[in-house]
Amino acid sequence: MITAMTGPKTSGMRIWWAQIKAVIRLEMKKTFFAKRGLWIYLVAALPVFLFIAFAVATSGRQHQRASVARRGEKILTYQDLLAVQPGMTSEEVVAILGKPPVNFHWAENRPLGPGVTANVLRENYHYSDGQNDLFVGLLDGKVESVNIDSGNNLGQDSIMFAGVFQFFFLRLAIFFGCLGIFMNLFRGEILDRSLHFYFLAPVRREVLMVGKFLAGLLATGTIFVVSELLQTAAFLWHFSPSAREVYLYHNHGLEHAAIYVGVTVLACVGYGAFFLVAGMLFRNPILPAAAILIWEFINPFLPGILKQFSVIYYLKSLCPVEIPSPPGTSPLLALLVSNTDPVSAPVAVVGIVIVALIALYASSVQVRRMEINYTTE
Amino acid sequence: MSAPVRPSVNSLMNDRIVFEDVSKFYGEILGVNRVNLSIPPGITSLVGPNGSGKTTLMNLMTGLVRPSRGRVEVLGYKTDDPEHLFTILGYSTQFDAFPKGLTGYQFIYSYLRLAGRDAQTAEQMAWRVIERVNLVDAAKRNIAGYSKGMRQRIRLAQALAHDPKVLVLDEPLNGLDPLARSEMIALFRAAAAQGCYVIISSHILHEVDVISDQVILLSNGYVVAEGQIATVRGEIQEHPTQILIRCTRPRELASKMLEDTHTIEVTIHKDEKGVLLKTRDADGFYLALNQLAMNGIDIESIAPADDDVLSVYEYLIGNEEVVR
Repeated sequence: MITAMTGPKTSGMRIWWAQIKAVIRLEMKKTFFAKRGLWIYLVAALPVFLFIAFAVATSGRQHQRASVARRGEKILTYQDLLAVQPGMTSEEVVAILGKPPVNFHWAENRPLGPGVTANVLRENYHYSDGQNDLFVGLLDGKVESVNIDSGNNLGQDSIMFAGVFQFFFLRLAIFFGCLGIFMNLFRGEILDRSLHFYFLAPVRREVLMVGKFLAGLLATGTIFVVSELLQTAAFLWHFSPSAREVYLYHNHGLEHAAIYVGVTVLACVGYGAFFLVAGMLFRNPILPAAAILIWEFINPFLPGILKQFSVIYYLKSLCPVEIPSPPGTSPLLALLVSNTDPVSAPVAVVGIVIVALIALYASSVQVRRMEINYTTE
Repeated sequence: MSAPVRPSVNSLMNDRIVFEDVSKFYGEILGVNRVNLSIPPGITSLVGPNGSGKTTLMNLMTGLVRPSRGRVEVLGYKTDDPEHLFTILGYSTQFDAFPKGLTGYQFIYSYLRLAGRDAQTAEQMAWRVIERVNLVDAAKRNIAGYSKGMRQRIRLAQALAHDPKVLVLDEPLNGLDPLARSEMIALFRAAAAQGCYVIISSHILHEVDVISDQVILLSNGYVVAEGQIATVRGEIQEHPTQILIRCTRPRELASKMLEDTHTIEVTIHKDEKGVLLKTRDADGFYLALNQLAMNGIDIESIAPADDDVLSVYEYLIGNEEVVR
């Protein structure tokens, strides 16, 4: 029996690392396959579904455009579509673009003065060059309106992608995903009354905390990086291979994708550290989650010094695509959308790491103080 | 963690489990108060009714809770240093919850990996301890499907897995069938015989009586007595010592006994082959008995009738919530 007093003969750092790996192995199983964490997969998958739906809808419209282009008398270019101007006659339009492949016309009773009306002919011509649509509105044979609907526009779509990434994926999906996983690392064990299993092992509490944090990071990182990659794939899916190639290799697409992955991981680090300490300090996750959510939301309106104690402040600075405020946006909303005082990428990365380290230090202090007293929980 | 760590310089005692003026309050609720203990090797039983502070004492000993006042050391190791403390200590708690989704084997194996053992050593040690608690057949089954007794045994296995010098066992015999109980008791005795410190809490006094080298009696968070049973019994002055004497002429012996001034009461045994005597001076009685024996009364045996845990418990604490 008394072979004890002798532990494994390994040096401190090596044994700590072995213990961290043991914690990670135990936690990964619980984190990835926990029923209470299924909603996190759903939240992570939502933007993927959104981009798939967008791709399907865009592909449908693409087929429609191709069909309109095929039915036209001439093979048109984008320049041909731009040649049509208001005031032209229908004959002039047909001379440039040929007979419209899709044509609607109807008569309209139009008031000319008090008690006087006249019948007018309205027409709509629909042309396409295969990529873009041209809608021409005519009144009594004269062009009244010209509307070009640019089809696949990677520039515009990448702004849309950036919007979804910043306003849904970062601020909601990763935020709540980290809440669900990191807050449960200790709080879940307390609720399940199984935390003593770890506390009875010859493990430094700080080592246990680091192991749990890394397990949470591995889980959230895997879930959200996979989601991010699937979003990128879904986003690019409906573009032609040549357009994809141009975007990825000549228009920084690949670089942007890599940055998005990096920002995703950093978001998991930052929010994870926050929620790890919150899970130790609070019994009810709703209150700290609401407080952190509000803190992150009001970040653009905070004084410079306070901004630095936030995760989103640094993450926004790292995002590769600036989202322009649409004209007419209220100044308050514009402040929320735009990044008025971005920091450089190295400062942003170091900033998140420092914020995370502060939160992890608070966790290490708290974990040393923790007692097993399930009855009061 | 690896190298045996020298206990702190100003440690209390390196060969004892020591409580020095320890109190623990849960808010305003008293856990234990002003506890001073020095526990030697062997089997020590914590005895007391529910809420008397047995589990609190064990949790303090293992660092699961911190004292509100005073300090606790286990063989010189501080209890707020789990990395070193649990290299020499194994604790089988009463908490009946396990990490989800683990089999019995995985539970022990994971614990040993957490303790820093490499995969091969952990596997060997896990199977060895599973064999010791007789759970080999169920080792590959999920713990969620275990009976109460099996869960108790796998908790014991966790406490024993790394061959600790100090075993803290909270109600370790709960839920075990008679055969398993005797196996476990044999296991505790073997550990104690090898110089281990085995701390057991139990409600079942006759088992405590059989296995304990010393007892700690607790009531309402206070230690009311500690030490070897006979010593503790000897210190209880307000209850006369009871002695059972088997002899051939009990009535004659009884009348002679009553002549002794220290004798309080003598009862003839119902089988008419002995007397139960109550005296305030056991030593004086034994001297007198020698005299009587020389006077021709044939005495077959003499045995103390109330120096067991049951009696001591009854005298000091009362009849609260114990199983005889």
